[in-house]
Amino acid sequence: MELEQLLVKHFGYTSFRPGQREIIEAILEGQDVLALLPTGMGKSLCYQLTGYVLQKPVLVISPLLALMQDQVEELKRFGEKRVVALNSFLTAHEKRYTLHFLEQYRFIFTSPEMLLQQQVQDKLAQMELGLIVVDEAHCISQWGFDFRPDYLRIGQWLSMEKRPPVLALSATATEKVMHDICQTLSLNRPFEFIYSVDRPNIRLGRMMFSEKAEKAEKAQWALQHMTTSTGPGILYVASRKRAEQYSQALLQAGVHTAAYHAGYGAEDRQFIQQQFLDGELDWIVATNAFGMGINKPDIRQVIHETMPANVANYMQEIGRAGRDGQPALAILLYADGDEELAKFVATNDLPTAHHVERYQQLQQQQLLPSQMLKNGEIGETAFRVLDYWLQQESVEQVVQRLNELVVEKYRAVDEMQKIITTKACIRTQLLHYFGQHLKKQPVQCCEICGIQYEDVQQERRKQVKDIAMMSWQQRLQQLLLGT
Amino acid sequence: MFHQILLQIFQKLNHERTISAAYHILRGKRSGQTIQDIGLFQLHPYFGLLPKLPREVFDETVALFQQYSWLEVQASGHYSCTKVGLQRAAQTPEFLLAGWYYRGNEHLFFGRLSLIIQSLSYHQTNTRSFTPISKDIHIQAWVRQFLLEHHYQQGHLQKQLWAECEQALKELPVCEENKQLMVYRLSGHQLPGWTWQQLAMERKETVLDCQLAFIELLHVWLNSIHGYPLLQQIAEGVRVQALLTDSAQQTAFLYEQGYSIDQIAQIRKLKQSTIEDHIVEMAMYEPNFSIGSFVTYGEAAKVWQASKQYQTKKLKILYEVIGDMSYFQLKLVLAKGEV
Repeated sequence: MELEQLLVKHFGYTSFRPGQREIIEAILEGQDVLALLPTGMGKSLCYQLTGYVLQKPVLVISPLLALMQDQVEELKRFGEKRVVALNSFLTAHEKRYTLHFLEQYRFIFTSPEMLLQQQVQDKLAQMELGLIVVDEAHCISQWGFDFRPDYLRIGQWLSMEKRPPVLALSATATEKVMHDICQTLSLNRPFEFIYSVDRPNIRLGRMMFSEKAEKAEKAQWALQHMTTSTGPGILYVASRKRAEQYSQALLQAGVHTAAYHAGYGAEDRQFIQQQFLDGELDWIVATNAFGMGINKPDIRQVIHETMPANVANYMQEIGRAGRDGQPALAILLYADGDEELAKFVATNDLPTAHHVERYQQLQQQQLLPSQMLKNGEIGETAFRVLDYWLQQESVEQVVQRLNELVVEKYRAVDEMQKIITTKACIRTQLLHYFGQHLKKQPVQCCEICGIQYEDVQQERRKQVKDIAMMSWQQRLQQLLLGT
Repeated sequence: MFHQILLQIFQKLNHERTISAAYHILRGKRSGQTIQDIGLFQLHPYFGLLPKLPREVFDETVALFQQYSWLEVQASGHYSCTKVGLQRAAQTPEFLLAGWYYRGNEHLFFGRLSLIIQSLSYHQTNTRSFTPISKDIHIQAWVRQFLLEHHYQQGHLQKQLWAECEQALKELPVCEENKQLMVYRLSGHQLPGWTWQQLAMERKETVLDCQLAFIELLHVWLNSIHGYPLLQQIAEGVRVQALLTDSAQQTAFLYEQGYSIDQIAQIRKLKQSTIEDHIVEMAMYEPNFSIGSFVTYGEAAKVWQASKQYQTKKLKILYEVIGDMSYFQLKLVLAKGEV
């Protein structure tokens, strides 16, 4: 069957999006592929459709458990029954069962941790896989913002002799990270598909504030802007506390707003996302915890209240605006000295020499180093990184490595700052950072080239949607009977 | 509501325990001491209401109580309620909580209910894809089974479930605002739930108080779920049947086979005092358990008399007053309750 026919049959789409066909064809020819596609551009389809052509199981390695569950559910929605998530959520019994029948699944999702277990590797060695997908491949790079040590170990597993093609997927990666990916996964002269990171319909705005008056003035400007113009929009801030402050101020001004950060429970976070999708909220004030998996096409504005820690984060965050192709606006608020805060935030959760010492201390006392994590002395990611390297290298080497990590994070902030304070076209600079060139400059380009804010931001309407509380009887009826 | 609950607990433990005992009860700590306190001081409503309560929040509240002069706390952590404190406690309403019997499982009930209602709501509008509100795969599997079993596609299920919820809620002895609170934690197609913060703002109270009102409603609901077939099924396995801790249960098993405390301690490689705590737990929660092999009737009567005379259940005082009984025996008598 032709690829197009399979596309209609299994997914109901009539045409491919840019890159999908090229990527699938390369895999079918037996090539390794490195694909950089932005979120919302149909990354998953590249392996989903391939799975139907190959008639051999596709193994998808995904580092984020929540994301994995979403992907499994997405396939099930398309009517695929032979899909399974082999991860730590399974009970011992379920895991045995799944492993036993593993070759009968078409799509097998698993985590790096699970893949390192001997029984899983043994089982996979007996099977003939059609394709191995490494999702969120940038997590492999220790320079990435969410480095997963276990991902490095997959590299060793992938260097086995006879293996099927590998498809490495990511939404953002610099040339350096791409290099890391190819090397760690030992990709064999991969076909590279790199989608342009440029988003021509997003106008790149920037507002400068002087250091002294910074906080008050910036906040004033942001609140003024958000109370007079309408979203849907996201205001990114650097801390949970700030998110709360802004959302309180906006709520008091009568703007439908909610704060969003990792301090809320899972249900509450989903409620906020759904309220935003359903148009009940004009603005979300969020830390960078917001965005993963959010697919709202009509986000008109993304404002950064302070500078992000690196260019990749910035691109990913503004990239949530204007997915519908209509004009959208990104505004970055910058005050002299913001880079200090950004540097603090970027390195705040890194492990330090002090943590290395504690780790050794606990080991000498024959206690589990993971106690540090339980006691709250160290963050989860930081512990993972520390634990990994201390098992691989000497203490001196690890301390050295941690220092380099800090330097690298600082450098990333500096690069971001350079782009913010540039006197040249911001768009050109951003693309340049990713090793790409601007092909065609949009009329509404950036602050330097000159843009209009007005025709994107509409004046705030009175009430977006009436959301007064109903009686319990009414709501129960709406929920269950739809009336 | 949190303040009121805490006052009630402090009142019941007045002079007898440290401040921390109340914290352990709210968190549902499964230690011999806490479990025994539940029985001794009739604290069943409060056990395990807030398994994740941060110590800071608890300590802040205690500090506030001291500021109000409701409590006087000694350096050792022991405390006493002041006259004002006791007056305030007497003014608090009686809550319909049943922490001891649900121990956080009320959230399992609500997790199932809310996923069922969300699924039915999306099904109604023919929307096949949605993000399930519960990420717990065991709840998801349970709900899938439930929906299939009741042939959800035919459309009867939502009507029946609606009728049961409507009727059951109508009869609940809970205020309308709290019923409203509960249905706003449910979500459906184009009907997102409200966050705790949003609800707290609307109700002009703290997030913690909202959550407690929600828990109370669930307890009341679960207590009266009999006669509603669907809801009863959704509540399956939610009420705790075995009231003993797992470890005490293993001890009980050996004890019933005729092993002595010494022998059980050896077999289980545990301290004798731990086994004794298990025996006390059994005395408290197994109605048919006899303490006769450890204490005589006369000894038991002596303990109760002393307890009345000195107005205390403090072991140390009773131990000194009576003189010839062990702590274990005292605990047994108090656990079994007055005959």
